Amino acid sequence: MSAPARDAVPLPWAGRADHHCFGCAPAPANPRGLALTFEQTGDRLGTAFVLDHHYESYPGVVHGGILGLICDETMGNLVVMRLGFPALTTSMRTRYLGVVAVGRRYRCVAEATEATGGANGLITARAEVLDEHGAPVATATAHYQPHQHAVEA
Amino acid sequence: MTSSTAVPSADIIRTVTEVVAEILGRPVDGLSPDADLRGVEGADSIKVVRIIAKIEQAFDIELEDEEIFGVNTIGEVVALVEKATARERA
Repeated sequence: MSAPARDAVPLPWAGRADHHCFGCAPAPANPRGLALTFEQTGDRLGTAFVLDHHYESYPGVVHGGILGLICDETMGNLVVMRLGFPALTTSMRTRYLGVVAVGRRYRCVAEATEATGGANGLITARAEVLDEHGAPVATATAHYQPHQHAVEA
Repeated sequence: MTSSTAVPSADIIRTVTEVVAEILGRPVDGLSPDADLRGVEGADSIKVVRIIAKIEQAFDIELEDEEIFGVNTIGEVVALVEKATARERA
């Protein structure tokens, strides 16, 4: 978990009483979640994070599934902010390039590669997790299906 | 780079060689298509995967693990990229 970014982008459901997202709900709403916050730079959306031992795999190593979740969260929120309504992940592929250490700071950055949806209506995005020196430690690509009524009003 | 049009082989060779040189910290001129990726000074298995990840981003393609862990040379990586870009266009 990390301190909220100073210029955090408000997500569409920010402030809702029923916002308990494991990835991006504030800590009071989900004490077990990651409480990720996001910053926008041009067409890209990013989040910085430091994970503790609760998210560990091998001793001192962040669980790969958590990294996949962060990539999905960052790409998904990028797509949601573009659309103005939810999109559901239909598939995601993650490539792990090295060890991600507990207690170190990383950054996940996402961009849409097919922002308007292809003939099949899917939006394609990609993300990478970078270490403190900017070296990639994981990459991911995913497809999202816009779903205007996925969230109850 | 989009996958909607054919990428010339020369462009693939140049981009792959540049990525290998960047990740391994070697001069481009010192890398030939038959260079053994794992035999280049500074190479290890993690750097080879980083090379593949960077190439996937550069060409907007996805290479399969069973393909990439079987390649040894820059030329073989180029062949994989050509195959993958053709697959994406199909």
